[in-house]
This record gives sequence, C-alpha cells and structure tokens, in this order.
Amino acid sequence: MPRPPFLRAFVSPAALCALGFVAAMAAVLQFSLRAYIPGSLEPGGLTLTNFAALLRPLYGRVFLDTVWICFITAVCTLVIGYPVAYALVRAKSAFLKSAMLIIVVTPLFLGEVVRTYSWIVVLGNNGFINTVLLKLGIIERPLQLMFTAFGVVLALVHVTLPVMVIMLAAALSHIDPDYERAAESLGAGPIRAFVTVTLPLSTPGIVAGVTTAFAWTFSAFATPQLIGGGQVNMVSNLVYQLGFASFNFPFAASLSVAGLVLAFGMIALLRTALKPLESVGPH
Amino acid sequence: MKNRAEASGFQDDRAPPAAEQGFVRLEGVSKRFGDVVALHEATLDVRRGEILTLLGPSGGGKTTLLNLVAGFLLPDSGAIHIASQPVTDVPPYRREIGVLFQNYALFPHMSVAANVAYGLRMRRQPRPEIARKVAETLALVRLVGLEDRRPRQLSGGQQQRVALARALAISPKVLLLDEPFSALDKNLRGSMQLELKEIQRKLGVTTVFVTHDQSEALSLSDRIAVLSDGCIRQVGTPGEIYRRPTDRFVASFVGDVNVLRARLEEVYGEAARIAIGAAKLTVSAGTLRGCAPGSPVELFIRPERLRPAEDGDATACEGVVSAHSYQGGHVDLHIASEAAISGRILIRRPSEAIARWPVGTRIACACAGTEAVAFPASQG
Amino acid sequence: MRNPRASTWAGAAGAVVVGTILAFVLLPGLVVMIAAFNARAILSFPPESWSWRWFAKALAYDDFRTGFRNGLIVTGWASTIALLVGAAFALALDRYAFPLKRTIEGVLLAPLVIPHFTIGLGFLILAAELGATRGFAVVVACHVVLVLPFVLRSVYISLRNLDQRLELAAASLGAPPARVLTTVTIPLLAPGLVSGWLFAAILSFNEFTASLFVTAQRTQTLPVAMYNYVREYADPSMAALSVMYIVATAIILILANLFLGLGKVLNVEESR
Repeated sequence: MPRPPFLRAFVSPAALCALGFVAAMAAVLQFSLRAYIPGSLEPGGLTLTNFAALLRPLYGRVFLDTVWICFITAVCTLVIGYPVAYALVRAKSAFLKSAMLIIVVTPLFLGEVVRTYSWIVVLGNNGFINTVLLKLGIIERPLQLMFTAFGVVLALVHVTLPVMVIMLAAALSHIDPDYERAAESLGAGPIRAFVTVTLPLSTPGIVAGVTTAFAWTFSAFATPQLIGGGQVNMVSNLVYQLGFASFNFPFAASLSVAGLVLAFGMIALLRTALKPLESVGPH
Repeated sequence: MKNRAEASGFQDDRAPPAAEQGFVRLEGVSKRFGDVVALHEATLDVRRGEILTLLGPSGGGKTTLLNLVAGFLLPDSGAIHIASQPVTDVPPYRREIGVLFQNYALFPHMSVAANVAYGLRMRRQPRPEIARKVAETLALVRLVGLEDRRPRQLSGGQQQRVALARALAISPKVLLLDEPFSALDKNLRGSMQLELKEIQRKLGVTTVFVTHDQSEALSLSDRIAVLSDGCIRQVGTPGEIYRRPTDRFVASFVGDVNVLRARLEEVYGEAARIAIGAAKLTVSAGTLRGCAPGSPVELFIRPERLRPAEDGDATACEGVVSAHSYQGGHVDLHIASEAAISGRILIRRPSEAIARWPVGTRIACACAGTEAVAFPASQG
Repeated sequence: MRNPRASTWAGAAGAVVVGTILAFVLLPGLVVMIAAFNARAILSFPPESWSWRWFAKALAYDDFRTGFRNGLIVTGWASTIALLVGAAFALALDRYAFPLKRTIEGVLLAPLVIPHFTIGLGFLILAAELGATRGFAVVVACHVVLVLPFVLRSVYISLRNLDQRLELAAASLGAPPARVLTTVTIPLLAPGLVSGWLFAAILSFNEFTASLFVTAQRTQTLPVAMYNYVREYADPSMAALSVMYIVATAIILILANLFLGLGKVLNVEESR
C-alpha cells in the first residue's frame, strides 16, 4: 500500500501514552534534583544534595540487601521452576497440562496483597508451619519466620515462580523434540540427553527468566513491607517511607532513580555473565 | 546378500553371527494411537546389509514402523529383534541404531565435528579415537574442512551429510532413514541418493529407508515393503514390486498403470488367460483365486506395455486421443476410452507421436509384451 | 515416547519433585481458605471452630465495598483504553514502517522492567506538577501505562499467527481497507484481543504498588483498601476476602483456558 491508511489513527494514541510515561519518568528525575523543603510538598531549587545523601552507609545497606534478595530469589525460582516448566511442556495429557498451568499461573493473578497475606497466615507464630511443626513435636517453641529475610525470600519466590515457569516453558516448548530423540538414538540415556542437548538449548529461556525474575523482584513492595515489617527493607519500602511518612518526595525520587540505575546495572551484569552460556557446547 | 556384507571393506568389530532369519525382524507388531490403528500385525525381515525401503502414502504406517524399530515407540503387541537379540524392551539409546531424521535434527549448539562425535562421546570412547573416527566419517560423506562450522551455516545438502555422518560414526547395526531427501530440491536429491547408495554399499550397513516417493524407492532399494492403512501389502525386489504386484494397491501405487476391463477366459495351473478386446494375454493366476472362467476381471497394465496397433495386431482397446503431456524425451498420450475403468488410458511414445496422433484422433492399442496382472473385478 | 522400564525411575522421581513444588504453590492458598472459616478473631491455624462470619463481615465492610467499586471503574477504563490503544499500535507495528517505530515500542514496553513504585511515584509527582487533583484520571492513566505492554504482546503474538493472505483475499474480492479490518482482521484476532483484555483487566484490578502511590482516600482500589486493613487489624476478614479472590480468579482462568487456551495465550504451546 502506497500510503498506509489509518496510520495516524493507530499510532497517535500509543505515542500519547508513551509521552505520558516519559513525562512521569521525567517528573521523577526532575524531583530528584530538587531540594526538599520540610513541611511543604513543594520542592526547592536544583541541587545534588539528594544524591549526595544516598552515599551514606545506611542506604548502601539497603541497596545491597535489595540486590542480594533479588539475586537469591531469582536463583531459587530458577531451580524450582525448571522442573515444573519441563513437566508442563512434556506432559502428555492435555488435562494435566492445563491443570498444571492453572495451578502455577493463578498466584500471578491474585495480586500482591492477597498473596502476601496468605504467606502471613502460613509464616506467623500461630500460622500453618509453626502449628504443624509444634504438633509433630519437631520444635518446642514457634519459629520466628515473620519479619525475617528468609520469610520474605520464601514469599518472593512464590510470587516470582509463575513468571519464571511461563518463560522457561515458552523456551522449552520451542525446542524440537527430535533433538532429544536424535541424542537417544546416538546412545544418550534420558538424563544425558537432557544435560547435553535440552538444557543447553534452553539457555536463552533461562537467561530471559532470570533477568525477568530479578527485575520483577526488585519491584516488589507489599511482600517485604508486610512480611519484612520494617526489619527487612528493600528500595521500594524505603521510597514509600520517605514519600508518605516523611513526605520527603525529592529524596524518594532520588532513591528511585538510584534504584533504577542499580537494577539496570545488575541486569546488564547478569546478561554479560550469562552470555557464554548462550553458545554452550561440548569442548 | 550375506556375501556382500562380508565382502565389503568396512568390518564391524562386533560382527554378530549371520542370522538365518532377518537381521532386523518384526513379528506380529501392532500399534494403535487412540482409535487409529497405525500398524496391524506387521511381520517383516530385513536382511543383513540390504537397503529395505518402506514405501507408502502418508498415514500408511511406514513412519510408525520405523519409529518402532528405533525404539521411539513401544509396540502394543508383537516382538522386534535386531541381530537376533530381542529389543522390544530395549530403549533407543541401547539399540545401536543410527537415525537420520527428516529435518536432520542437528544439534544447533554444537559444531559439525561435535555433532558427529556425539554418539562416540556417549560410548565413552577415548579422545584420539573419537577424533580419528570423526575425520574418517566426514571424509566418507565428503565433508572435510567444515568441522568447526555450526549447522545453521551449512546448506541443506551439507546438513544432510553431517546428519548421515553422525549416524554412521557409531558403526550402527541398523541405519534408519526417515524421508531424508524430502527437504532437498530435485537436482540435489538425485545426486544425494546415489551417494547414499555408494556409502551404504561400501559399509554394508543394514538400512531401512522410509519414503512416499516411489521412483526413489525403485531406484535405491534392494527390496521394497509397500504399506498402506497399517498393513504390509507386499515385500519384494523393485522389479517384483513393479512387474508382479500381488496386491491391487501395490499395482496402482507404484508407477503409472492402466486399469482395463477384461474377462477371464481360462485358468490352467499357475497361469490364466485373459481376453481384452480382440487380444489375449497370459497372466499369473495367483491374483485371480476364486474367479470363475468367464467372469469379468480388471487388467492392470503399464503404459509401456501398450502401443498403437499396427497391421496384424490384435486390438486390445481403443479410444480417442484427449491430451498430450510433453515430457521432453517422450510424450504421454492420454486416450479417452470406455475400456478403462477411469475412462482414460495412458501410453508413452517418442515425441514424434504428437504429430502422428493429434488430439481427437481415434487410436487402437495393442499389447506390447505380456507383462500384466489381473485382479477380480471390484464390486460397484 | 520412551521405554517405560528405563525411564520409570526418572519419571517417578520427577513426578515427586514436581508434585512437591506444586504443593508449595498451592500451600498459602489452601491455608488461607481454611483460616477464613475460623470462628475466633485471631489469625490462627487451624481453626478451633468454624464460621462464615468473616465472609459476611468482609462483604459488608465499607472500605472493601468502595475499593471494589473503584477497582471496577479504574480497571474498566484502563483495560479498555489499553486494548484499543495497544491493538491499534500492534497493527501499526506489524504492518507499517514509520519514524520512531522502535522507540515508541521500547518506551511502551519499558514499564515491564521499571519498578511499579517508581512509576507510581512518577505519576503522583506529574499530577502534582500539572496541578491535577488526585482523582480517577491519574489512576487510570497510570494503569493504562502499566497494562499496555501485556496487551501489546498478546495482540502482537496473535498478529504473527494471522495469515495475511486472508486479508489480501478479502481485498481482491473488493473490500476497502476499513471493511477488511472489520470483517476479516478483527474477527480473526478476536481470541488474542479478548485474552489481552482479560490479562490487562486482571492485572489492573490486582495492581497494588503503583496504586498505593497514586490513589487517594476516595479513589483507593481494593488492594489498597486490603493493605490498609491488614496493617491495622489482624482478624480473618482478609482471609475471607482472599478466599473469594482466589475462587474468582481460578474460575476466570479455567474459563479462559476452556475458551481461549491459556497455553496459546502465554505462548507455551509445543511446536509440533
């Protein structure tokens, strides 16, 4: 078609949305460079004090904790998500496939608050885990699972699992089953066939899954807020506190910007670290 | 057949004892998928060192049979033996087979050399031995110099050679080929077929080959097994299959054939006399069991066994030339005739026939030679 | 298909592992369902006596009702707008070349990797700078931006699976571009559009972090209302609400799978 019909009509609304989003991000950036006037919601003049303030060790700790939690979550999710994705893709009965998919995907659609709340019921001192362990006599006093990093990571893994499984399953489903058959015909048992053929061929999916899990976890708020309860602080929680407890929006903005830079930096690092995996093969 | 394997230069270190029965043997093997019977009570012997082709239309059961021999499928009933050992319960990775897949299934994350070496790695052979075998096999398929390339950097023909090398490097007991040439274009196909046959002769490896292309089957095979609807219709040499089909399906599937209305005159011993038009033809009585003399039969006769009638010939059939199909070296004459069940007769003549027999001319045909086969007339 | 004897051990072990993981996934949901029926006011497990009262309380609680209503308003607007904008843009992306094509696409997909608290903060500040009140407009705008990437991806995948020759056939039969669109393209894209809309709606309704930043007291959505409740009270009302949530979501997903095929929507179908 010489001149595409409807082009303007199709693209303008989207361009508008893109503009709106950019404006919102620009607003954050702009605020991060303005001074904070205590007691007022209006920011002051341009300054770099917000970023300077970030250099304090307190914030360094929060950054480190966040990165650490995101990393552990991504790795754990990968390890337990892979078998599920594999089973999902190789399952023979359509019913089993659908059932597994629905079970895995449902938590994704429940929303942060419901999921986090459910974990509170599981982790609390009167919650599921403690009640079962006490009844079985394995422990004598309730374990402190709430307000710990362990509890937060556990809940975060649960939250991130659906995303990881979907990305891995998408990658696995596009691997031609003939490759495994070829490997078997050449003498590889099912485990060796998997390790030497299927696993390497799924590395793009693994990389995509891990980076997405990392980014996803970085965004988490309700889980560290409610389960961490102030003891475990991620960047998200700190931004909220600064904004709504102290009303120090400029500083919250600078924290967001720094967090964003950190997250992107980490993801870029992950990508380069995993790059050699992309072309894995026998020596 | 056995002599050829022994006379070949490539000696298998694990030479199994020469089997009285087939080197690959299926006994009463059946397989169904849900309600569909893919293979019904198949019994087949593949002789050591031969190329046996499984020929048939899609869905006929040939790929299922191949997968059963490979071990990718389990039979519902029956037994499979390779080299006199029962393998029905043996998984593919212990059957010592080499498989060439239709889409080659070359490992994209490995180089050519690594692909070919894969089977040897699985057998935990020492490194120098692997390197030697890889070089040897790549030389055999004439693909030296590309060891470090990735499959995606190769042409279709080159990929196929790598796939073949990979299957052969492990000195398999049986080589299984699943429509290996269907992805190649026509010109390449012919030369690859010849090369494959040369390699197979050199190595003497027992080969089972699946195709729906009957000219491929006729040119490559030592023997052909024709399958349709899950049943093996006939097993024989290409010549037997083409000239003496024992089954109606085989007669019509392999090559072009004219099906003419005729009459059974008399049966004497193993032979029967058929009357068609004014001509008489002698055919084997084996396909006419239960037919009384005088009953109608259908005569299956190849295009090359009919020619325009000359003076003194007994006319077998006649009709009007309805179309020409010029084929370069010859022309296919299509003749509208009531003698044919389908209403059309096909004969082949040198291209001068276009001028000699223009469209619309009446033409009478006589039989050339006596090769034909007859089956009882089908109901309806 | 494999030989059963050889793979039985591997298969059984695998089934156990996968079963355990699936149990882990189901655990919180099941626990919450049981806890919701606790007759006592303490959040404990297992309940000593059973009751429906928390369900009644949750359904009657004002903040939850308002939150639910607000959520429907926001989600209704946001997902519909996102569908229209996203589908149109996906078409343009697939068919046409225009300046800044990849840039706009990149910007629209960016919310997938940018934390929701940053986006929420951004819209909050933007609204303040523009002098806009913290009403529904800001919330809807924020949700549209958050949900658009999913709609884009869903429609784009459907477009890739659409055989363009069908549209060419319609054109050759005399249909002008607008009619080709309405009579061929859109009907064939319908499953992708519906699933994209559904995906967007569910995510928008459940979205919490960004909403926490951009909503005010009177516009707060259900997740925000739930969050505020949990911070103050510890009774099982939330559990009851969670159960209703879980059941509703599961039903929607099962129906979606029946009519649309979840596997196709999420792109996890096998290539055969």
